[in-house]
Amino acid sequence: MQLREFFVPSAIKLDLAAETKDEALKELVSCMGLDGKSEGILYKMLKRRENLGSTGIGRGIAIPHCRSLVVTRLRVAFGRKLSGLDFKAIDEKPVRYVFLIVAPPLEVSNQYLPVLGKIAQFGKEADVPELLAEISSPEQFIELLDAKDL
Amino acid sequence: MDQQLELLLEIQDLRMQRRGLTDGTLTDLEAEVFDIKIEDAIQSLDEKVEQLAQKLTRGVRERYRRIADKAPRVVAPVINGICYGCFVAVSTARASEADRNLRVESCEYCGCFLYHVG
Repeated sequence: MQLREFFVPSAIKLDLAAETKDEALKELVSCMGLDGKSEGILYKMLKRRENLGSTGIGRGIAIPHCRSLVVTRLRVAFGRKLSGLDFKAIDEKPVRYVFLIVAPPLEVSNQYLPVLGKIAQFGKEADVPELLAEISSPEQFIELLDAKDL
Repeated sequence: MDQQLELLLEIQDLRMQRRGLTDGTLTDLEAEVFDIKIEDAIQSLDEKVEQLAQKLTRGVRERYRRIADKAPRVVAPVINGICYGCFVAVSTARASEADRNLRVESCEYCGCFLYHVG
Protein backbone atom coordinates (compact mmCIF):
# COMPACT_ATOMS: atom_id res chain seq x y z
CA MET A 1 0.00 0.00 0.00
CA GLN A 2 1.40 3.38 -1.05
CA LEU A 3 0.19 6.59 0.53
CA ARG A 4 0.29 8.50 -2.74
CA GLU A 5 -2.46 6.26 -4.16
CA PHE A 6 -4.97 7.94 -1.85
CA PHE A 7 -4.20 11.56 -2.71
CA VAL A 8 -5.88 13.24 -5.67
CA PRO A 9 -4.85 16.74 -6.83
CA SER A 10 -8.31 18.17 -6.10
CA ALA A 11 -7.87 17.28 -2.43
CA ILE A 12 -4.47 18.94 -2.09
CA LYS A 13 -4.84 22.60 -1.11
CA LEU A 14 -1.53 24.42 -0.92
CA ASP A 15 -3.03 27.75 0.04
CA LEU A 16 -5.91 27.26 2.44
CA ALA A 17 -8.22 30.25 2.76
CA ALA A 18 -9.05 29.18 6.33
CA GLU A 19 -7.95 31.41 9.17
CA THR A 20 -9.00 29.05 11.98
CA LYS A 21 -8.87 25.35 12.80
CA ASP A 22 -12.63 24.99 12.26
CA GLU A 23 -12.48 26.73 8.91
CA ALA A 24 -9.57 24.52 7.86
CA LEU A 25 -11.54 21.38 8.75
CA LYS A 26 -14.54 22.64 6.77
CA GLU A 27 -12.39 23.57 3.80
CA LEU A 28 -10.77 20.15 3.67
CA VAL A 29 -14.07 18.34 4.21
CA SER A 30 -15.39 20.23 1.20
CA CYS A 31 -12.74 18.53 -0.94
CA MET A 32 -14.36 15.14 -0.35
CA GLY A 33 -17.15 15.61 -2.88
CA LEU A 34 -19.94 14.89 -0.38
CA ASP A 35 -23.40 16.43 -0.23
CA GLY A 36 -23.97 19.27 2.23
CA LYS A 37 -25.62 17.13 4.89
CA SER A 38 -22.83 14.55 4.84
CA GLU A 39 -20.22 17.32 5.01
CA GLY A 40 -21.94 18.64 8.13
CA ILE A 41 -21.98 15.24 9.82
CA LEU A 42 -18.33 14.62 8.95
CA TYR A 43 -17.27 18.04 10.23
CA LYS A 44 -19.13 17.41 13.48
CA MET A 45 -17.34 14.07 13.93
CA LEU A 46 -13.94 15.61 13.28
CA LYS A 47 -14.71 18.32 15.83
CA ARG A 48 -15.73 15.69 18.37
CA ARG A 49 -12.44 13.90 17.81
CA GLU A 50 -10.57 17.18 18.30
CA ASN A 51 -12.45 17.67 21.56
CA LEU A 52 -10.89 14.45 22.88
CA GLY A 53 -7.46 15.97 22.27
CA SER A 54 -5.83 17.96 19.50
CA THR A 55 -4.61 16.08 16.45
CA GLY A 56 -1.78 18.61 16.14
CA ILE A 57 1.22 16.33 16.64
CA GLY A 58 3.80 19.11 16.70
CA ARG A 59 6.29 20.63 14.27
CA GLY A 60 3.48 22.36 12.39
CA ILE A 61 1.59 19.17 11.48
CA ALA A 62 -1.96 18.10 12.31
CA ILE A 63 -3.72 14.89 11.34
CA PRO A 64 -7.47 15.19 11.97
CA HIS A 65 -9.08 11.80 11.49
CA CYS A 66 -12.23 9.80 12.11
CA ARG A 67 -14.40 7.01 10.86
CA SER A 68 -17.80 7.92 9.49
CA LEU A 69 -20.70 6.30 7.73
CA VAL A 70 -20.89 9.17 5.27
CA VAL A 71 -17.92 7.90 3.26
CA THR A 72 -17.76 4.60 1.39
CA ARG A 73 -13.99 4.38 1.07
CA LEU A 74 -10.92 5.83 2.74
CA ARG A 75 -10.45 9.47 1.79
CA VAL A 76 -7.55 11.82 2.46
CA ALA A 77 -6.86 15.48 1.89
CA PHE A 78 -3.93 17.80 2.50
CA GLY A 79 -4.05 21.50 3.30
CA ARG A 80 -1.27 24.02 3.81
CA LYS A 81 -1.48 27.37 5.54
CA LEU A 82 1.99 28.85 5.70
CA SER A 83 0.98 31.64 8.07
CA GLY A 84 -0.16 28.96 10.52
CA LEU A 85 -3.37 27.97 12.32
CA ASP A 86 -4.05 27.67 16.02
CA PHE A 87 -4.73 23.94 16.44
CA LYS A 88 -3.90 23.70 20.14
CA ALA A 89 -1.12 21.36 19.04
CA ILE A 90 0.94 19.27 21.44
CA ASP A 91 3.90 21.67 21.15
CA GLU A 92 1.53 24.67 21.22
CA LYS A 93 2.99 25.92 17.95
CA PRO A 94 0.89 26.96 14.93
CA VAL A 95 -0.06 24.24 12.47
CA ARG A 96 0.89 24.81 8.86
CA TYR A 97 0.19 21.38 7.36
CA VAL A 98 -3.06 19.49 7.81
CA PHE A 99 -3.60 15.88 6.71
CA LEU A 100 -7.26 14.86 6.86
CA ILE A 101 -8.12 11.16 6.96
CA VAL A 102 -11.64 9.74 6.90
CA ALA A 103 -12.59 6.10 6.64
CA PRO A 104 -15.87 4.19 6.60
CA PRO A 105 -16.69 2.01 9.63
CA LEU A 106 -16.28 -1.11 7.52
CA GLU A 107 -13.23 -1.53 5.38
CA VAL A 108 -12.50 -4.76 3.58
CA SER A 109 -8.87 -3.84 3.09
CA ASN A 110 -8.53 -2.19 6.51
CA GLN A 111 -6.41 0.73 5.32
CA TYR A 112 -7.31 3.33 7.94
CA LEU A 113 -4.79 2.37 10.59
CA PRO A 114 -1.82 1.89 8.22
CA VAL A 115 -2.56 5.17 6.43
CA LEU A 116 -2.86 7.04 9.73
CA GLY A 117 0.36 5.43 10.93
CA LYS A 118 2.25 6.24 7.73
CA ILE A 119 1.20 9.87 7.75
CA ALA A 120 2.17 10.17 11.42
CA GLN A 121 5.55 8.62 10.61
CA PHE A 122 5.96 10.95 7.61
CA GLY A 123 5.14 13.94 9.79
CA LYS A 124 7.83 13.03 12.28
CA GLU A 125 10.65 12.97 9.70
CA ALA A 126 13.00 15.86 10.38
CA ASP A 127 13.03 17.39 6.89
CA VAL A 128 9.31 17.03 6.10
CA PRO A 129 8.04 20.42 7.36
CA GLU A 130 10.68 22.20 5.32
CA LEU A 131 9.95 20.13 2.21
CA LEU A 132 6.20 20.69 2.54
CA ALA A 133 6.83 24.43 2.69
CA GLU A 134 8.74 24.34 -0.57
CA ILE A 135 6.30 22.49 -2.83
CA SER A 136 4.39 24.62 -5.30
CA SER A 137 1.88 22.23 -6.89
CA PRO A 138 -0.21 19.18 -5.96
CA GLU A 139 1.97 17.15 -8.31
CA GLN A 140 5.05 18.10 -6.31
CA PHE A 141 3.27 16.96 -3.17
CA ILE A 142 2.71 13.55 -4.76
CA GLU A 143 6.35 13.52 -5.91
CA LEU A 144 7.43 14.19 -2.33
CA LEU A 145 5.50 11.14 -1.15
CA ASP A 146 7.14 9.19 -3.99
CA ALA A 147 10.58 10.39 -2.95
CA LYS A 148 9.88 9.24 0.60
CA ASP A 149 8.69 5.91 -0.81
CA LEU A 150 5.30 6.32 0.85
CA MET B 1 -32.28 13.60 6.07
CA ASP B 2 -34.50 12.53 8.95
CA GLN B 3 -33.26 14.18 12.16
CA GLN B 4 -33.56 10.95 14.14
CA LEU B 5 -31.48 9.17 11.52
CA GLU B 6 -28.90 11.95 11.69
CA LEU B 7 -28.67 11.45 15.46
CA LEU B 8 -28.28 7.71 14.94
CA LEU B 9 -25.45 8.31 12.47
CA GLU B 10 -23.65 10.51 14.98
CA ILE B 11 -24.12 7.91 17.69
CA GLN B 12 -22.83 5.16 15.41
CA ASP B 13 -19.75 7.16 14.41
CA LEU B 14 -18.98 7.93 18.07
CA ARG B 15 -19.41 4.25 18.96
CA MET B 16 -16.92 3.36 16.23
CA GLN B 17 -14.51 5.91 17.61
CA ARG B 18 -14.93 4.37 21.05
CA ARG B 19 -14.45 0.89 19.66
CA GLY B 20 -11.14 1.92 18.08
CA LEU B 21 -9.94 2.96 21.53
CA THR B 22 -11.07 -0.18 23.32
CA ASP B 23 -10.32 -3.00 20.87
CA GLY B 24 -6.66 -2.06 20.60
CA THR B 25 -6.68 -1.02 16.95
CA LEU B 26 -6.16 2.68 17.57
CA THR B 27 -5.23 2.71 21.25
CA ASP B 28 -1.45 2.86 20.89
CA LEU B 29 -1.47 5.34 18.04
CA GLU B 30 -3.90 7.70 19.77
CA ALA B 31 -1.95 7.52 23.01
CA GLU B 32 1.56 7.75 21.59
CA VAL B 33 1.20 10.03 18.57
CA PHE B 34 -1.73 12.18 19.66
CA ASP B 35 -1.15 12.04 23.41
CA ILE B 36 -4.79 11.09 24.08
CA LYS B 37 -5.69 9.91 27.58
CA ILE B 38 -7.60 6.81 26.60
CA GLU B 39 -9.75 6.39 29.70
CA ASP B 40 -10.81 10.03 29.66
CA ALA B 41 -11.59 9.82 25.96
CA ILE B 42 -13.75 6.72 26.44
CA GLN B 43 -15.66 8.37 29.26
CA SER B 44 -16.19 11.49 27.18
CA LEU B 45 -17.45 9.43 24.23
CA ASP B 46 -19.82 7.46 26.46
CA GLU B 47 -21.27 10.67 27.85
CA LYS B 48 -21.74 12.15 24.40
CA VAL B 49 -23.40 8.98 23.08
CA GLU B 50 -25.81 9.00 26.00
CA GLN B 51 -26.60 12.69 25.49
CA LEU B 52 -27.43 12.02 21.86
CA ALA B 53 -29.45 8.90 22.73
CA GLN B 54 -31.61 11.02 25.02
CA LYS B 55 -32.56 13.14 22.02
CA LEU B 56 -34.03 10.13 20.19
CA THR B 57 -37.78 9.67 20.31
CA ARG B 58 -38.90 7.02 22.76
CA GLY B 59 -39.65 4.40 20.11
CA VAL B 60 -36.38 4.89 18.24
CA ARG B 61 -34.42 5.01 21.50
CA GLU B 62 -35.88 1.74 22.71
CA ARG B 63 -35.08 0.06 19.40
CA TYR B 64 -31.60 1.61 19.49
CA ARG B 65 -30.94 0.21 22.98
CA ARG B 66 -32.09 -3.26 21.97
CA ILE B 67 -29.66 -3.30 19.04
CA ALA B 68 -26.82 -1.56 20.89
CA ASP B 69 -26.93 -4.11 23.71
CA LYS B 70 -26.36 -6.96 21.30
CA ALA B 71 -24.13 -5.62 18.54
CA PRO B 72 -21.45 -2.97 18.03
CA ARG B 73 -23.21 -1.68 14.95
CA VAL B 74 -26.58 0.03 15.29
CA VAL B 75 -26.65 1.71 11.90
CA ALA B 76 -25.62 -0.16 8.78
CA PRO B 77 -24.80 1.51 5.48
CA VAL B 78 -26.75 0.42 2.43
CA ILE B 79 -24.49 0.43 -0.58
CA ASN B 80 -25.78 -0.62 -3.98
CA GLY B 81 -28.87 -2.07 -2.35
CA ILE B 82 -26.93 -4.26 0.10
CA CYS B 83 -27.25 -3.87 3.85
CA TYR B 84 -23.68 -3.89 5.15
CA GLY B 85 -24.89 -5.07 8.54
CA CYS B 86 -25.81 -8.52 7.26
CA PHE B 87 -24.81 -8.37 3.56
CA VAL B 88 -28.33 -9.19 2.43
CA ALA B 89 -30.06 -7.19 -0.30
CA VAL B 90 -32.68 -4.84 1.06
CA SER B 91 -35.97 -4.84 -0.83
CA THR B 92 -35.81 -3.15 -4.23
CA ALA B 93 -38.62 -0.80 -3.30
CA ARG B 94 -36.63 0.47 -0.33
CA ALA B 95 -33.31 0.70 -2.14
CA SER B 96 -34.75 2.72 -5.00
CA GLU B 97 -36.89 5.09 -3.00
CA ALA B 98 -36.33 8.71 -3.94
CA ASP B 99 -36.89 9.77 -0.34
CA ARG B 100 -34.41 7.39 1.22
CA ASN B 101 -32.83 8.63 4.47
CA LEU B 102 -35.90 10.81 4.94
CA ARG B 103 -37.29 8.42 7.52
CA VAL B 104 -35.91 5.90 10.00
CA GLU B 105 -36.03 2.34 8.67
CA SER B 106 -34.48 -0.95 9.75
CA CYS B 107 -33.13 -3.98 7.95
CA GLU B 108 -35.74 -6.72 8.10
CA TYR B 109 -32.98 -9.34 8.45
CA CYS B 110 -30.43 -7.99 10.95
CA GLY B 111 -32.51 -5.24 12.55
CA CYS B 112 -29.91 -2.49 12.08
CA PHE B 113 -31.09 1.00 11.26
CA LEU B 114 -30.36 1.68 7.60
CA TYR B 115 -28.43 4.56 6.08
CA HIS B 116 -28.35 4.76 2.29
CA VAL B 117 -24.91 5.94 1.21
CA GLY B 118 -24.21 7.87 -1.99
